Amino acid sequence: MTALREAVVLPLLFLTIALVAGAHIDTRVALVPPSLFSLVLATMLIAALVRSGALAPDRLLHASRSTIANANGAAALFALFAATAQVLAMLTPRTGLPLLFVQIFLFVLLLNTLVAMPDRVRLLRSLAVTLGSALLLKFVVLASVSDPAGSRVSRVLVALFDAATFGSITQNPEPPSAGYLAFFTVAMYLIAVALLPQARPYAHTTELAPR
Amino acid sequence: MIDNMREPVVRSAGLVATIGYAAAIAWLYVTQPQSVAQVTGGFTSAIGAYRIDQQAFDDGLRFFRAGQFPEARAAFARADAAERDGRTQFYIAYTFYRQGWGRVYNDDALFTKGLATVDKAIAVTPGGRLVVDDVDLQMRSADELRAELQRGLTHEADDFNPLKIFRTRK
Repeated sequence: MTALREAVVLPLLFLTIALVAGAHIDTRVALVPPSLFSLVLATMLIAALVRSGALAPDRLLHASRSTIANANGAAALFALFAATAQVLAMLTPRTGLPLLFVQIFLFVLLLNTLVAMPDRVRLLRSLAVTLGSALLLKFVVLASVSDPAGSRVSRVLVALFDAATFGSITQNPEPPSAGYLAFFTVAMYLIAVALLPQARPYAHTTELAPR
Repeated sequence: MIDNMREPVVRSAGLVATIGYAAAIAWLYVTQPQSVAQVTGGFTSAIGAYRIDQQAFDDGLRFFRAGQFPEARAAFARADAAERDGRTQFYIAYTFYRQGWGRVYNDDALFTKGLATVDKAIAVTPGGRLVVDDVDLQMRSADELRAELQRGLTHEADDFNPLKIFRTRK
């Protein structure tokens, strides 16, 4: 990995993702810090990245590296953590049962990924599917359910469903720009994760060498 | 050889840029600006280079003295688009006070806005001590204005005192 990528590209990319993912667009734009649960999920995701070899922390922080190189590595890791927490917070619905279900969904998926120990490529594919599904759920499915300008039939169905679930399904309507912003943020995040320094392949055989 | 020389430069520049960018993002999270003017005003005031639009401020002062409070607020808001000047924010709060003041009862909505604005004025003033040298005002400090607005918003038995109608607007 080049010094340019490690010192400039990765930190600035991840910080930009953290900034954009934290923006809640409503009648006014509010920058919201990640929830505590998002921090837990981010820790799990980074652990999964390390175990799969998609992220080699020793290539960012190591005693053999110079002080400035370690400072760059620490900045990149800090930015990765902030961006991960904000992306997961952005993809989680804000209220009600969807919030609970998506949190459980993400927690179980990440736990499963941690235990399964996939390799780098499989992990990146799995991450794309997980983030993509959460994006679709929040910004397409739930957004259409919560759309106040929907058709009369859909509004009746939603009203019935909402009554049956004590009003815990519908979300505050999101502006269309929120979905586009989330899509580009997730795409940027996946690209940035793919750019992280990966573990070097090494032979870990226990076979005895022939004499 | 050139690459070896360039690497520390790239790393140092990257670190400085990252720290600066992270600090700017943290500042955005804390201050929650709502317009580009507020963002640029915040950064320029941080380095002491923020200036209000003096012409718009003078217009606002003229409207204020003529009792045209909505017009005065519009001019003051134009003068201090970034909401970083304590004196201008003080005058905006004062317009809310004077417009909301009533001999029988006060307009709570305007007083609430006034209180929020005077709090903003105090917050952007270094040290929090804001005194305006204006002989036309009976309350020249943000602390007096704040207390008066808070008194106006408090409902108590004294509100029913009929002699209250003889009080004067400050």
